[in-house]
Amino acid sequence: MTNQRLAWSTLLALALGAAVTQWVSSGTVLSLLTQAVVYAVFAIGVGVLLRQNGMVSFGHALYFGVAGYSVGLILQMQWMSAEWAMAVTLVGMTAVAFVMGLVMVRVPGVAFGMLTLAIGQMVFLTASRSRGLTGGADGMNIDWPNTLFGVSTSVLVKPASMFLLSWTTLVLVMVLLTLLLRSRFGGITEAVRDNEERARFIGIRTVLPRAAIYALSALVTGVAGLLSSINTGFVSPENLHWSLSGVALMMVVVGGYKALWGPALGAVVYFLAKDILGDYANHWMAIFGLALIAVIVFSPTGLAGLVERLFKRNTPVATRAAVGH
Amino acid sequence: MTQYVLQAEDVAIHYGGVKAVDGVSLTLTRGQIRGLIGPNGAGKSTVIDAITGRSRLTRGMVALNGEDVSALGVVERRMRGLSRSFQRTSIFGQMPVRKQVELASHKMGVTDSQADADDVLQELDLWPMRDSVADDLGYGEQRRLDLALALVGRPSVLLLDEPMAGLSVKESLDLAQHLKALTSRWEVSVLLVEHDMDVVFGISDEVTVFELGRVIASGSPAAVRADARVREAYLGSSA
Repeated sequence: MTNQRLAWSTLLALALGAAVTQWVSSGTVLSLLTQAVVYAVFAIGVGVLLRQNGMVSFGHALYFGVAGYSVGLILQMQWMSAEWAMAVTLVGMTAVAFVMGLVMVRVPGVAFGMLTLAIGQMVFLTASRSRGLTGGADGMNIDWPNTLFGVSTSVLVKPASMFLLSWTTLVLVMVLLTLLLRSRFGGITEAVRDNEERARFIGIRTVLPRAAIYALSALVTGVAGLLSSINTGFVSPENLHWSLSGVALMMVVVGGYKALWGPALGAVVYFLAKDILGDYANHWMAIFGLALIAVIVFSPTGLAGLVERLFKRNTPVATRAAVGH
Repeated sequence: MTQYVLQAEDVAIHYGGVKAVDGVSLTLTRGQIRGLIGPNGAGKSTVIDAITGRSRLTRGMVALNGEDVSALGVVERRMRGLSRSFQRTSIFGQMPVRKQVELASHKMGVTDSQADADDVLQELDLWPMRDSVADDLGYGEQRRLDLALALVGRPSVLLLDEPMAGLSVKESLDLAQHLKALTSRWEVSVLLVEHDMDVVFGISDEVTVFELGRVIASGSPAAVRADARVREAYLGSSA
């Protein structure tokens, strides 16, 4: 995708978000859409790890929940302003994830997944049992100030504003990741993912880029966690639980991880399915599970892969060459 | 005194009681091609692993351009000009050809990495498929891409582990000619592990023969071919 195309796509996406707030008047629908978009950011975080490192995390809810807890605790202690608390949370979390990544990415395959699960559950249990600090299993309210980045919090948490904030964040995350991953750094991480041994033999130190991707994926997930904590004003151990990591992973599988936007599509499909199927069946996840199996069997590259294949089939070769497909 | 580009001295790799390589010494001068032959399991690939730092030495020393690199890792040795290809094609399957060769060149610190990559691609007849994803190439093209990744940045030493494996006779001859021309023009020293005897004896300046982790003969192709022990152990009496 050329820079010009990316710029136009970004503007179009931002305009689409603004248009949705005009078209959709129902607060309930907007809230559902906001939730879907927040989880889309979460899923992109998980997807980036799979796409660039080829690694599956069963514990990324760790970063989703910790972001909320961190801001909540900083605000409770009144250490700094909410804006600084968010910045410190994201920077600190990314730095910690990078250091953890330096060790964790050396662990291959399923063992890596189990390690992420173990660490995630360790933090989940710690948060659940630290009643004095985190409110334990009941969770904690986040004392957001009256204004955030100069905008009244009461305005910000309205369904339309919250959707717009989440949507804009999603678009910016996608654009920044696109730019980053098509840079030299992106090429290096692709090389390491494809063939780590050969990568070493062309002079790449393979641990650093893998740890950097792990940290990047934690950062994106943390951004989703912050959006969620602004949206709900609340954080609980449920935000750290492995089942939430599993949901994010399902979104990635359904949407597909090879395209950057695949996990976001998966999140939208997940929430649509939850809303629509949930009206007809209590155990809607069983039906969604069947859909998941169908996707894995018939389109391993997910729905995004399916869409891309259909697009390529319907686009004349000359046009594809012109747009760089 | 001869200045060796590569010098391996008394190299040994032992796995417990198994002596995969035991007390091997060999050298390469600038632009020299040394063929390394021997039966399967003789320790040829293990020697390459030892020289590149992929396997830890049990004993011995590896020097590159006079510098002892025995304690250095794979990346450090590559940055000093020690490059290799693999027995099984080792490329970046999902990346376009030109992108991966350019990346390899960039990592070698080449200022104009694009020009260097393009040069190597043209040299190895990979230019027409430069925009193809590596997985979409034919086997022979993938083998040449493997070689291209090893050649960027103009290494001083190139260790090739069965580069002709799986190639047709014509492809093998083409690749052998490319190799001979390149080593001569770029003054790359090559250690060539290969089972195709026509290629080894056709392009090597020296040939070293392995058996059970040890060198049993070394010298000019004619001398090695005439060596009775080599004929008995590897080439066969009709060679």
